[in-house]
Parts: sequence; structure tokens; C-alpha cells
Amino acid sequence: MPTLIALFLKFSAFSLIAFGGVNALLPVLLELTVYQEHWLDLQTFSDYFAIAQAAPGPNFMTVTLIGWHMSGVLGAFVATFAIIWPAGILVFFLQRFILKMQDPMKKKVVQYAAATLAIGLVLSSALEIALQINHGLMAYLLSGLTIAIVLLTRWHPLYLIALGALLGACGLI
Amino acid sequence: MLPWARRTIVEEEQWLSSEEFSAMLGICQIVPGPNVTNLAVCVGSRFCGVTGAIAAVLGLSLGPICIVILLALLYNHFRDLESVRGILRGISAVGVGLIASTGFKMLKDEFHYPPSLLVVVVVMIAASFFHLGLGWVVLIASPVALFLAWHKAKR
Repeated sequence: MPTLIALFLKFSAFSLIAFGGVNALLPVLLELTVYQEHWLDLQTFSDYFAIAQAAPGPNFMTVTLIGWHMSGVLGAFVATFAIIWPAGILVFFLQRFILKMQDPMKKKVVQYAAATLAIGLVLSSALEIALQINHGLMAYLLSGLTIAIVLLTRWHPLYLIALGALLGACGLI
Repeated sequence: MLPWARRTIVEEEQWLSSEEFSAMLGICQIVPGPNVTNLAVCVGSRFCGVTGAIAAVLGLSLGPICIVILLALLYNHFRDLESVRGILRGISAVGVGLIASTGFKMLKDEFHYPPSLLVVVVVMIAASFFHLGLGWVVLIASPVALFLAWHKAKR
């Protein structure tokens, strides 16, 4: 139970600094849960990451699965709730404030600044997660191929997930 | 998930106008936290205040949480199979690529005002090279981000 409370408090704090969404948060999550607290090992973390990517729904499911790993169904809900509520309350109060903001200049400044922060965080997150969970050249090639396909075509991401699963099942990754 | 949300909320149910939806989405991308549940809070509270926000978040996350728990149960049973290991390795390599491509897609828009790329570089150096905590990275990079954003908006 104390670990569940620790998880709840840490994840709640993460919620408020997760610019760029939960994807930008992944390296911090990994650092905390694998290297600092040893709640799970790197292999399990990257498996959970994969399951979360393949599952339908919001992209914070890695968090849910970490909670599940620690305390079953209760843990899953506690972890998910922790990552949602602080940001949810923040946006609840901020939205009126921002929608009513009269000065279009201020609005733009905040929007541009947040966008650039988010880009940096998301890209460095992808880089750090790749360094941790991609083993070998083929994995990096597949990640690169994914980026190319997303940027150059209009394929649905599910096809790419299926492609990854297929290549992996054949023992190529 | 977001394109699907737009289609349901704006086109099919016509709960919100397209402009209203875009404005809300803009806000949800500014604030930290899971974008999808933030959006659910905005849309839900627009109609039924706090109750609406809670209902929207629950409606959005309960189903997927149950599904992912089922997947976790399957995983516990089959995690040692060589084929399952391979499948998960393949999916996580694609997953990394998907996250990177969201970043690259957003990056394309920034080329209209190249100085703002500096923020991206500062964030990446602070986070990936110096391994500063996320709070520090945000603290260090936001003055630069705000300054450049102010210049960009002034044009």
C-alpha cells in the first residue's frame, strides 16, 4: 500500500509537467519506475509500452499497466486517475480563462510557446525511449520506416502496429 | 483518437462547431497532461459543468482501461513465448516511431519561423543530453519559448 501511495503522488506531480502529453513523459516514467524505484524491470516496461501502443484508446495506457503491475486492478485505476486529475482540474479552470482572453496576441504567444516546448519534449522522449528499448539495427530501421510512412503517406497507425507485430513474429526485430 | 473525436463531436452529433472544437483542442495542447482526457474535461464541462467533465473522462477511459487489463492478463500467460516476445519488440519499435513522427509533424509548422527551432534544440539538449528532470527542462526552456513566441506573434 505505501508504494501505491508513492506511485499516486509521483504520477500526480508528473501530470502537471507533462507538456506534450503522456508520450513526452515516458522517459521520466521509465527512469522513476525502472531505475529509481525498481517497481518493474526494463523488459516489462518496454512490453507494457508495446501493449499500450497496440491497445485502443488514449495514449496513457503505459501508466495504467504500470499501476496494474504494482497492485492489480486497484493499481491500474489509481495510476490512471493520478495522471488524469491534476491536469484535468487545471484545464477545467484554464479553459474559461483562455477562451475569454481578449488579447489575440497573448493567446498566440502562449500557443506558440507551448507548441515548441511540446515538440522538443516529444522528440527527446522518442529518442530516449528508442535508446532504452530498441535492440539492434532492425528495430531502429523499423522505427525510421514508421516515421517515413507517417510523414509521407496517410496510412492508419494500426497498419503500422500490425506490420511491426508481423515482422516481430517472424523473428526479424 | 483525435480525428475520430472531431468526427463524432462536430460532424455527427453537432455538439460543437468546428471553430469551438479547434479552440478547445488548442487549449488542451497548451496545458500539460493527457491531451485526450483534457479534451474530455473541456467538452464535458461545456455542457454539464463538473459532472459533465467527470462523465466524459470516465466514458472515455473506462472501456480502454478494461481492455488493456485483459491484454495484461494475456501477457502474463504468454509473455515467455518467443513469438510473443518478437511481436512486442516489433510493436515497440513502431511505437517509438509513431511518437517521433508526432513530433516531426508538429516540427514542420515551425519551419515558417526558424528561430523557434532553438527552443526544440534547448529542450532536447537539456532532456536528452544533460538528463535534467522534466520540471527543470520546462523551467529552463519556457523563458526562451515565450520570448521567441512573442517575436513570432509580433510579426
